[in-house]
Amino acid sequence: MTRHHLSLWLLLAAAFACFAALSAGDMPTVCGHTLKSSDIVPTLFSARSTDNAISTGGPTACPAADSTIEEVQFPVPVDTAAQTILFIGDSMLEGLGPRLAAYASHNGHTLYNVVWYSSTSEVWGRSDKLQSYIRRLHPTYVIVCLGANELFVPRIAERRREYVEKIIADIDTLPYLWIGPPNWKPDTGINGLVASCAAEGSFFLSDGMQFQRSSDGAHPTRSSAAQWMDSVIRWMPAHSNHPIRMEMPAETSARPARVFVHQPDER
Amino acid sequence: MASLNDIASNIAEVLSYNPAEPLLFSSGTFWALFLGFLPLYSLLRKRWTQMAVFVLAFSFYFYYRCSGVFVLLLAGTSLVDWLLSRLIARPGSGPTLRRTALVVSLLCSLGILAYFKYANFFLWNINATVGSNFQPLDLILPVGISFYTFQSVSYIVDVYKGRVAPTRTWLEYAFFLAFFPALVAGPIVRADYFLPQIRRNTTATREETFTGFWLIILGVVKKAVIADYIAQYNDLIFQTPGGYNGFETLMGIAGYTMQIYCDFSGYSDMAIGIALIMGFKLAKNFNFPYKSRNLTDFWHRWHISLSTWLRDYIYIPLGGNRKGTARTYANNFATMLIGGLWHGAAWKFVFWGAMHGAGLAVHKAARPWLGRLGDSWPVKALSWTVTMALVAALWVFFRADSWSDSWTVLGSLAGDYSPAKIAAFASARMLWLILMATIIVAHCLPTAFWDKAAAWFVRTPWLVKLLILISVVQLVLELRGESVAPFIYFQF
Repeated sequence: MTRHHLSLWLLLAAAFACFAALSAGDMPTVCGHTLKSSDIVPTLFSARSTDNAISTGGPTACPAADSTIEEVQFPVPVDTAAQTILFIGDSMLEGLGPRLAAYASHNGHTLYNVVWYSSTSEVWGRSDKLQSYIRRLHPTYVIVCLGANELFVPRIAERRREYVEKIIADIDTLPYLWIGPPNWKPDTGINGLVASCAAEGSFFLSDGMQFQRSSDGAHPTRSSAAQWMDSVIRWMPAHSNHPIRMEMPAETSARPARVFVHQPDER
Repeated sequence: MASLNDIASNIAEVLSYNPAEPLLFSSGTFWALFLGFLPLYSLLRKRWTQMAVFVLAFSFYFYYRCSGVFVLLLAGTSLVDWLLSRLIARPGSGPTLRRTALVVSLLCSLGILAYFKYANFFLWNINATVGSNFQPLDLILPVGISFYTFQSVSYIVDVYKGRVAPTRTWLEYAFFLAFFPALVAGPIVRADYFLPQIRRNTTATREETFTGFWLIILGVVKKAVIADYIAQYNDLIFQTPGGYNGFETLMGIAGYTMQIYCDFSGYSDMAIGIALIMGFKLAKNFNFPYKSRNLTDFWHRWHISLSTWLRDYIYIPLGGNRKGTARTYANNFATMLIGGLWHGAAWKFVFWGAMHGAGLAVHKAARPWLGRLGDSWPVKALSWTVTMALVAALWVFFRADSWSDSWTVLGSLAGDYSPAKIAAFASARMLWLILMATIIVAHCLPTAFWDKAAAWFVRTPWLVKLLILISVVQLVLELRGESVAPFIYFQF
C-alpha cells in the first residue's frame, strides 16, 4: 500500500470512527443546537424487531389493534361543525396536505398547513411554534404528522418522550390526531412512543401500510400520499376519539387556506 | 440490545440492493466500502490482472447496488461489444463483415437503450396519435444506461474507424465500460483517452491522491450541502406551480438553475476525484458554465463529455459545418434535439433540446453582427444576462412535471415584486439565500483561485485535512433533508 493511500485511508477511517462514536450516544450540543447524528451505530446495531406496544407489521395500519384502545366506546359521534384545522409536521405534509385540503374544502373546513422540513418531535417540542400558531390561527382541530425523521433514533422512548408530551401539552384541550410516519424500515420505537403518549383514538399508525415511494425511497408519491390521507379519513369514524365530517371530495387535491413553511435550520 | 444475528442482518441489508437507496458517492455506505476497497486496490495496483479483476468485481457490485440484476445486462452488453470489436479488427474481416459487426453492435446497444428508455414514450405517442390502447410496459430503467451505452457506441465506432485498437481481453474492455467512478452518471469516458491509462497502469502520486480527495470534498459540498438544501425550496415552486408570487418564483427558477449545476457537477467532481485517487484521469466535465456569454460557449462548458460526444458521433457524421451554412444550422439543431431526447423520454426534453439547438443556430447566424458590437462591459453584461435568462428559462421545462406546469411557473414570474415580499422572502429563507450567494460567488472566482486552493489542500497537514472532512460531513448531516436525494442525472 502506498504511503499516500495509507494516509488517505487513515483519514477516512478516523472520520468514520469519530462519527460512529458520536452516533453511539447523545450528540453534543453547540450553542444550544444539538448536532445531528450520522446514525452509523443505530443502523448497524439496532435490533431487527421493535418492542413497541404497536405492531409494526401487517398489510394495513389500524391502532384499534392495540389492546389499550379496546376499552373506549367507539365509534364516537361525528362532530359535523365546520372546523379550523391546523395541520403541522415534516415534509410528509407535502403529499398529505393537498389531499386533506380537498377534504377540507369539500366539507366546509378551513385548513392551515405548517410544513417544517426535516423536523422531528424534538424540534417541535423545543420550539414554541405550535403554541404560537394555535394562538394566531385559533384552530378547533389539530393534526400532527411527525416521526419520519426519527425512525432510527436509539433509545427514543427515553430521549424523545418529553418532546412528544410537550407537543401534546401544547395542543392542550383541542381535539387532535397524530398521523404516524410511513416507515420504510423498522423504527426504533417512535410509533410505540407516540401511541403511548397520545390519547386513545388520537394516533393513526401508518407503519405496515403499503406505499408507492418517490425516488428518494422515503416519501410516498403524490398519489400514494393521497391514498394514505384517504386511509386516515376512512379510519376516523370508527376509531378516532373526535371524528369530524370528512365526506369524500370529487377533487383529488386542493390548496389549503394558507401554507407556512419552515426550513430545517430554523428554531 | 442487538444480537450478532441482528448486526449481521443489518450489515447484509446495507450491502444488498435496495432500489430506494442506490449507492451514492455522497453516502456513508459508499465510503465504508471504499475503506475496504482502497487498501486492496493499492496492494494490487502493480499486478495488472488481479487489480483489473478486483476493480471490475467492485464495479459490478457497485452497479448491482444501484440497479440490481441489470448488472447482468451490463456484463452481457460488454461481452457482445467486445466480441464484435474483435471481429471488426480481425485482419481477415472483409468490409461487409466489419460493417455488419458494427451495425449489430450498434443495434444491440442502442436497441437495449431504446427499449428500456423509449418504448413507453413510443407507445404513449402511438396511443395519442391514432387513439390505440397499447398498455405501457412494466419497465424499470437501468441506472446509467444512457452513459455506458454512449461509451460502448463510441468504442465500437472508434474501433471500426481504426482510431482505437480493440482491447485484447474482455477484462480490459469491461474495466473501461464498467469503471465504477464514471459508470452511472459519467463523465462519459472515451476509449482513446482511457484505454492507454489502463495499459500504463501507473500509481497515483501524493499530489493526485489528495487533489482527488479535494475534488471529492468539493463535490460533496456542491451536491449534499448546496444542491440538496436549495432543492427543498425549489421543489415547492415546481410542486405548486402558480402558488407563489413573482419574486418567489424567480428565486425558485434561479435556485433550480444552481441546483442542477451543483448536483451534476458535484457528482462529476466526486467521480473525477475517486478516479484520480486510483491513478486514472477523467476529463473535466464542467468548466464554470454559468460564466458563459452565449449558448455556444455554454455548451463548451456544460457537461463537456456529452457535448463533445454529440459533436464527434452525431454532429460531425451529419456533415458538421462542411456542407454549407443552412446545413450547419440544421445539423446543430438535430444534434441538440437528440441531446434533449438523451436526457429523457418526454417531449419536454425534446423541446429543451430543440430550443438549445435553435439558440445555437441563432447565435451562429448572428455572430458577424454580434462581433460588430465590440467587447465592452455593457455588451458583456447584456450578453451574459440574455444567455443566463434563456438557460434558466429552459431549465423550467426540464424540471417541471408537465408542459402546462412549465408555462404556469413562467407565467408566475409576472407576479408581485414588491419590497415587502422580497423582505419577507429574505427573512424566511436566509440560509437558502446564503447558500445561493456562496455558490454564485464561488462560481465567479477565477479558475486560478481553485487551482491554488487544491494545491493548498494537498500541502496542508493531515490533521487539518481530517478537520475539514469532519466539518463537511457534519455540515451535510445538519442540512440534509429527511432522506438522501438521488443525483438528478441518475435518471438519464
